[in-house]
Amino acid sequence: MTTTTAQPRSDFDARAAAVKAVADRGRRQDNIFRGVALASALAVLLVLGGVIASLFIGAWPAIREFGPGFLVTETWNPVTDRFGAVAPIYGTLMTSAIAMAIAVPIGFGIAVFITEICPPWAKRPLGIAIELLAGIPSIIYGIWGLFVFAPFLQHHVQPFLIEAFEDVPVLEALFRGPPYGIGILTAGLILAIMVLPFITSITRDVFETVPAMLKESAYGLGATTWEVVWNVVLPYTRIGVVGGIMLGLGRALGETMAVTFVIGNAHRISASLLAPGTTISAAIANEFTEAVGDIYTASLILLGLILFVITFAVLAAAKLLLLRAQARAGGGR
Amino acid sequence: MTAPQQRREIKIETALGDRPKVEGGEVPAEKITIRDLKFFYGDREALHGISLPVYAKRVTAFIGPSGCGKSTLLRVLNRMYDLYPNQRAEGTVLLDGEDILAKSKDVNLIRTKIGMVFQKPTPFPMAIYENIAFGIRLYEKLSQPEMDARVESALRKAALWDEVKDKLAASGLSLSGGQQQRLCIARAIAVKPEVLLLDEPASALDPISTAKIEELIGELQRDYTIAIVTHNLQQAARVSDHTAFLFLGNLVEFGPTDTLFTRPKDKRTEDYITGRFG
Repeated sequence: MTTTTAQPRSDFDARAAAVKAVADRGRRQDNIFRGVALASALAVLLVLGGVIASLFIGAWPAIREFGPGFLVTETWNPVTDRFGAVAPIYGTLMTSAIAMAIAVPIGFGIAVFITEICPPWAKRPLGIAIELLAGIPSIIYGIWGLFVFAPFLQHHVQPFLIEAFEDVPVLEALFRGPPYGIGILTAGLILAIMVLPFITSITRDVFETVPAMLKESAYGLGATTWEVVWNVVLPYTRIGVVGGIMLGLGRALGETMAVTFVIGNAHRISASLLAPGTTISAAIANEFTEAVGDIYTASLILLGLILFVITFAVLAAAKLLLLRAQARAGGGR
Repeated sequence: MTAPQQRREIKIETALGDRPKVEGGEVPAEKITIRDLKFFYGDREALHGISLPVYAKRVTAFIGPSGCGKSTLLRVLNRMYDLYPNQRAEGTVLLDGEDILAKSKDVNLIRTKIGMVFQKPTPFPMAIYENIAFGIRLYEKLSQPEMDARVESALRKAALWDEVKDKLAASGLSLSGGQQQRLCIARAIAVKPEVLLLDEPASALDPISTAKIEELIGELQRDYTIAIVTHNLQQAARVSDHTAFLFLGNLVEFGPTDTLFTRPKDKRTEDYITGRFG
């Protein structure tokens, strides 16, 4: 571009042309950028669709053979080729429920401690410790669970539980039978330890987004730490906290290795939490390599499809719950 | 700006109106007495031994350039600094003769007596009604009709009732900025404090909302002792009876607002109020 002013008119035209060239280039780049972004978004849908489709195709022989009865049958007999999913579904839901029942309150407590109570020097070490917990590979949890944790439970905790609840109506049924060490309860406890860091670190992160002034307003009214957390911090961070819990739950539902080690891998449902059971992912991991025959393999794939549906349903339910909670809390933000 | 019975006119150099004169009249009771107050952020001393009174049922303004310690001073009065482990205060702050800086004092009880409103509106993420009821519920068990009455009276005192009476169940966050700030004032007075601390309560608001807040301060001073931090000198002149000028963590001058604004004793005060720095 020249800066001569001898021919103002043509100089003006030249400038205009240059600006137009830049604008055209910008528009082209923007179009490419849009295209790439769109392709990335489509790729996700494509992968998701592909997974569902291949699971469905792989599971088809089992679906044709057993129909909806698969969902309500407890039998799992490779010899006679009769399969049903109730035991692994129950095991999956039960271990995850135990894990959440323990990890949610503890994770919440840790997050509150770190954000509201903890002296500053201890904040970082605690945060790092929690993140390290998330970094431990699940096989380590499995080995530790089998060789350390399960025997510990077997010798010190389970006999005590069995005795303590001996004549209590409902709990008696939950804690009955010989203390194996491994079983539904042990798997649930291991899962709780594994999902704890997810719930804790997300809860802590969203707690830290609460403006100091908002908390001070509540403290300024004479509220205690607990009242501030429960009535102000938690409603303010509701969405993030539920997100963290869901992430933890998703991990608990799908966790394979550690659970396989400590759950006992028995395709049956017992009322007692101390009894061995199985989960969907544990069953697949354990049996896929030795599954002979179309129906056996297809049944395992069908289990995978069911896990997929359960996870999806849990996430959808959480979203719905959030929407309703928001509507109740007085709508628009 | 509407300011009915309180102000006759706005003078040229300052906005001093016909505030109730304290000069020469009876000396009002001291609600809060600050004596040799020092404040530390970690190792940094932010207040260097401040002594001044806050008179009962009067408005006291803290003015001064940014960083002079006026907000810090306000935050000492309800021990808000207690929330932050590396902040501490030395000296004495008497509320009705009792030292509120004493470790043995229950911080939460102090805060129920001393309400605070912040620079930015901070409605809680809940319904308008609940915003008010929250603080009341912390210390009182009221029946539903009693609670309704308390909520209504607080909203009326904050001049917000007529604007929200039909949507008490709506989120506090759905209100405009000025309404949110009045909601915060309503929330603070709902717990029947004796002192109100206002930390630049109108700094985030438009002129009309600001006028409403200032008018409200005039109304509230009948029932409450008010301390207000402001960097708006006209506002200090309009709403306060006494003014304290702080500079670099020191109290430079304290006196009746009209005296301080018209006949400042200290050169620095004069420079500040005439706009030579700050």
